[in-house]
Formats: sequence, C-alpha cells, structure tokens
Amino acid sequence: MADDLNDDDFDSNSPSSTNSSTASEMATLQHPPFQKLVPPLNFCPVEDQLYRSGQPTPINFPFIADLRLKAVIWLELEEPSEAFASFTRANAIQIYHLGIESGADVENDEVDADASIRSSGRHPRSTNPWDQLPESRIVRALDIIAHKDNYPLLVCGGMGRHRTGTVIGCLRRVQKWNLASVSEEYRRFAGSRKRVLIELHIEAFDTNSVHIDQQVAPPFLLY
Amino acid sequence: MSSISSTANFFDRPETKLLVPPLNFAMVTSGIYRSGHPLPINFPFLEKLKLKTIIYLSEHDLRKVNVEWASRNGIKVFHFRMENCKLPFVENDPEAIAAALQVVVDSRNFPVLMHSNKGKHRVGVLVGAMRKLLQKWSFASIFDEYGQFAAGKEDSDIEFIEIFNSDLQYDPKYAPSFLVSW
Repeated sequence: MADDLNDDDFDSNSPSSTNSSTASEMATLQHPPFQKLVPPLNFCPVEDQLYRSGQPTPINFPFIADLRLKAVIWLELEEPSEAFASFTRANAIQIYHLGIESGADVENDEVDADASIRSSGRHPRSTNPWDQLPESRIVRALDIIAHKDNYPLLVCGGMGRHRTGTVIGCLRRVQKWNLASVSEEYRRFAGSRKRVLIELHIEAFDTNSVHIDQQVAPPFLLY
Repeated sequence: MSSISSTANFFDRPETKLLVPPLNFAMVTSGIYRSGHPLPINFPFLEKLKLKTIIYLSEHDLRKVNVEWASRNGIKVFHFRMENCKLPFVENDPEAIAAALQVVVDSRNFPVLMHSNKGKHRVGVLVGAMRKLLQKWSFASIFDEYGQFAAGKEDSDIEFIEIFNSDLQYDPKYAPSFLVSW
C-alpha cells in the first residue's frame, strides 16, 4: 500500500513535511502517483454510488472498474460502443438501453405514444438524436435510479450533456431542488452547448409521474 | 419583496417547500461535497446531508449565522485562512491547502462540505489537489473539472494544482475508501 511509495527518491520540501517519529502507525502520501486514472468525460458523482458521465472509452475502464458498477443507464438512440458493451459484459454490469422506444428493455413497458408525442413534440419512434428523451423513458430511468438493487449505478450518454442532464435534472426535481440550481447543474456539464429546450423539458417534467417506493429506494430518496 | 428574508420565506412556504443547494454545489466523492458559501436559505438542504465537518477556505470570518447553525447541528468547522489568488499580488497558499487535505484523509470527518465564498476558485484548487494527490486523476480531467466551476476565470490556479505537493499523514484505520487502492 502506501509503503510502496517510500523507497522513491522523490523529495518534497513542502511546508507541511512533518515526518515526526510519533506517527509510527500513520502512513504518508508523499507525491502524486505516476499511474493516472482517467474518468470519462463529464464524470461526476450525483449521489452516493450514483454517477453520471459521457460514454466511457477504453482509457476510462480502469477508473470505471473501481466504481464496481452493477448497472448502467444508456440514454443514446444508438447502441453503446462495442468496447464499452464488452466491458460491461466482462464485469457483469447490466445495461438499460433507454434511448429508444423499442428494444428488450421496454418489453414490459406500455409505451404511451400520445404522451410521448405531447412531451417530445415529435414522433415517438423518431431516430433524430436531437430529439428530447420521451417522458416515458425519463420515468423509466428514474424508476431504475429509485431502486437500490441497481447500485452502484452510472447514468450516461454520448457526451454526458443533454440526455444525461435531462435525467439528472428530473431526478433533482424529484428531490425538490429549486430550478435555478437544477439548471446550474445542467449548464455545468453542457457548457457553451446548453440548450434552453432541455431546461424547459426539465421544468415541465411532472414529478408526480415518479413513484418512490420507500422500501427499495436509496437513502437520498427517503423522506 | 426584494430582501433575502422574504425570499427565504417564499421557499419556506409549505406549498413550495423547495430545497435550495448552495451555489456551485456538487458531490466530490462519497462523503465529500463542495459549494460556495452557504446562506440561511440553504440550511434545510444541507441538514439532509447530515454533515459532520465543514472546511472553509477564506480570509474572512465565517458569518455569525453560519457559525451558530453549524454548532446547532454539531458540525465541526475547520477554517483555513486563505486569500483568493490574485496575481501578481496574492498567490494560492500551499499550507492552507495541505492543512485542508489533512482533514479530507480522515474518514472520521465525513460527511464533509468544503466551501469557499463562490465555490469556484479556492475550493476548485482544493478539489484539484485532492484529485491529483489522493485519487490519481489525470491532469486533463482535473483541469476540465476545475473549468466547469470556474467558468473561464482560471488565473494561475491550474498551474498551482500541477505544481502543488505535500506529504500527507493519514491513519490507515480511518482512510477514506478512495485511499484503499494505495
């Protein structure tokens, strides 16, 4: 562990170098490690064991492996990259592909096409990546987030900006955050590419469409 | 209607009952949060985090209302006096950052909120130092995260993060989980 670092000749003259002999059972961190970890683009912890990011690439896999994920919510229309898909298979991580209206994951979901049209303003089976996430998919994502069996859990999309931001924004509304703070968080990840339509979508989201089962909810969703 | 207190009353009303996180609030890692200076409007939100410790980086005293709130909630406050970096007159203080990191390597202090006044620069430097020294992040990732909060005004902070180093003493018995991989 930390002892491995001590035989290194790296010498620090930092002002807090107090290598006192009293600290016999204390360990020392002497310098930054040479092996680096690279989190995925726009990575951030959302709550305990709940994370958000863009799509992980192989350079991110050692970092992601440390999170010991149980499940991933994938929000793009297209499939995740083959590299990421095989990483999840190798680590027994379940992928919920929610970016689309059809597919294995939605077999049991009754998709309310009218509601989707109302909320997205588009045909529900549209394949335009600029389209908003349909309301039913947001609710499905929040249902997964509201179940502690899925943790540790990563919510991700291509760059971790808009679709990811929509789901996390709606989660914050369920958590009763004020809208200014929700938008601030969205913009932090969207940067100069922020879309007012996404913020409108989050604002209009009906939080009553999510039911938090207190028996299975993670601690941050308990009343 | 324009005073802070009437705003606070608005958020207190039962029909709104919103929770208001402090400016630039975010989770850094399990058990560690960052933000700007909390205001009374943020107290109900912060109370849900069940904080044990606050790290405050600023040359100013903590506001009296915050001191009273912290003691009412049994929160220990570590105040490290540190001015905002203003080159060429004021540089970041490595001793303050090292002392703050010393609090972070002891999980008995968790959950901890680290805050400055705006939650952009000083706290950004502290988080950057932590990502580098404790969590092994690549510099590109650290600078990207710093920029998400500092939004354009970066001064020499990221240089400081790159150069800063310190010998940190920690007790393995109480090491936070992110140190386990050492």
